[in-house]
Amino acid sequence: MTLAYLMVKKVILKYVLAFVIGLMVLTQSACVSIKFERDEIETYLLTQQPEKALTALESHEVKDRNKSLYLLDKAMLLRMQNQFEDSSQVFEKAKRLTRKLDAISLREQAAAISINDSQRSYLPQNFEQVLVHCFQAINYLQLQRYSDARVEILQLSELLKQKDDIQMPFAQYLSGLVFESNQELDNALISYRKAYQAYSSYNSAIPLMLKEDLLRLTKYLGLNDEHKKFLDEFDLQIWPKQQDTDQQAHAVAIVLNGLMPRKHSLEINVQSPTDGQLHRISTPFYEHRETKVYGAELSSELLNTSSEIIAQLDNQARNALNNEMPSIIARTIARMSIKNSAVDETREDLPLLSLALEIAAIITEQADIRAWNTLPQQILIMRLSLPAGSHDLKLNLLGSNLPRNIQTWQQVNIAKGESRFFSYHSPDSYVTQRKP
Amino acid sequence: MKNQWFKSFTLVAAISAGMIINGCSTVVKRLDSGEVTDLSGEWNDTDSRLVSEEMIRDVLSRPWINRFISANGNRPAVIVGGVRNLSHEHMNVATFINDIERELINSGEIDFVASKLERGEIRDERKDQELNASNETAKQMGQEYGADFMLKGSINTILDSVDDEQVRFYQIDLNLISLADNRKVWAGQKKIKKLIEKSAFRL
Repeated sequence: MTLAYLMVKKVILKYVLAFVIGLMVLTQSACVSIKFERDEIETYLLTQQPEKALTALESHEVKDRNKSLYLLDKAMLLRMQNQFEDSSQVFEKAKRLTRKLDAISLREQAAAISINDSQRSYLPQNFEQVLVHCFQAINYLQLQRYSDARVEILQLSELLKQKDDIQMPFAQYLSGLVFESNQELDNALISYRKAYQAYSSYNSAIPLMLKEDLLRLTKYLGLNDEHKKFLDEFDLQIWPKQQDTDQQAHAVAIVLNGLMPRKHSLEINVQSPTDGQLHRISTPFYEHRETKVYGAELSSELLNTSSEIIAQLDNQARNALNNEMPSIIARTIARMSIKNSAVDETREDLPLLSLALEIAAIITEQADIRAWNTLPQQILIMRLSLPAGSHDLKLNLLGSNLPRNIQTWQQVNIAKGESRFFSYHSPDSYVTQRKP
Repeated sequence: MKNQWFKSFTLVAAISAGMIINGCSTVVKRLDSGEVTDLSGEWNDTDSRLVSEEMIRDVLSRPWINRFISANGNRPAVIVGGVRNLSHEHMNVATFINDIERELINSGEIDFVASKLERGEIRDERKDQELNASNETAKQMGQEYGADFMLKGSINTILDSVDDEQVRFYQIDLNLISLADNRKVWAGQKKIKKLIEKSAFRL
């Protein structure tokens, strides 16, 4: 070997080592900062301080690859403060970015294959994309912008057609409510029917509100056979008639209960028996959480009603992760193979570099634990039918000891035949298990 | 050989650095307002302009205007009612309604009166004048010009998509309805069809 060759190798070794060490520091610090940021936001939310959570979110530097997550969290934190107009604008930005991120970036794929999955831009999961439309629709309903809510539902319908592996009964039921708000009873019934089919396919209980809406509309629209089928199945003695519904005013309250469980990583370290090389496999899993609020009551001066669960979003998230697991593992194996090749190639000539690469391979192998954590764990719904006119409404959350467990809306004017929508976030919840 | 490699590497690095630096700065290019620029495939100013031009051409060329003038001796007065957005996109329908209104007023053949939204502020001002302005200059209540027709309509879309291709079909319908007897005296329609191909890859 010539002197020049050895000098070049020394230069390469110096720079590559520096690069490898820098990479290790960067990926480690990125993961630590994400966890720290999440902890801070969660602490504020659990103490009913969404404004401080938003300040915390905006105080951290947002990397391009986490931009979509930042927008989703910001939109949610704004709606928690009843800033529905601002929340809508941020959701629109999130939607535009998601459409752009849907295309594959070869550069990001290369980074993901050589380092870890967190190097890719966060593309909201299919169920998260559906929920963006749902929360956007709820924003518009609260602002009484029923036409805009309808646009949102049409976009949602197109998304559900494209991602036909997604079953979201809540999204279908919400679509029906939006169509009814726009006086389109036939379209509303189609959505209610889809919601019923989706709940049935999950073997989930059909919510009482959906049963009543199906019976009411099938009767009103003259679909007698279908009406009889639902009557036999639901076995309800009393259900509202369309003629009565048209004369009443309706207050619909939606409680966004708890917080979505966070993802953590499960690391398995193994040593190869043949060459002693260390390997790490890191996969994400969801923690288990429980909500403190177990129900809600909506009351006026005259009447009151209790809530029912209309969606269990943590189950949706777990199903999505289970479906994604084969491709996560496939990418992990591909990454292991590439990193091992680099280690093997350099072992003989550059043993120190080979060791550094081996250490880097282990440390950089981290699961992608990013997720839309400001989502609620479950959604509760209730409807109070009242005489048309002005009412003082009170929402009482059951099971929470926090001061803001009662929300009131004063002098709400609801016209005959109109449905007014109200939503309230209650993130109060606790972790029961941090194991897969 | 090594020298050539080093020179090539330096050249590539310099070019790449230049591209990166160039890509990092904001570039602003002024365009003519009539220039067609389709970026996302969604409803844009070109669509708004095409619709308003077609509607104006149509409404001014139909016999209802002359019939009205012959029967009543004056220009028809129109008020804008609701234009429902029944499409898949959040769009500002007000821009092309404003374009139509402006061109029709400027044609001198149709009068427009203020819409329900606009009237509220005007009536507040008139009420204020009744209390605070001089008798000679105060405008009287109950002197508004009643509209003869209401302009209403809707925007509908039909989407058809597979993989990364989507066909978007827009249908814009506008009607003039007589406020006297609910007769529709004019029906205008414009259709726009777009093929949008999304890139499967990005930087």
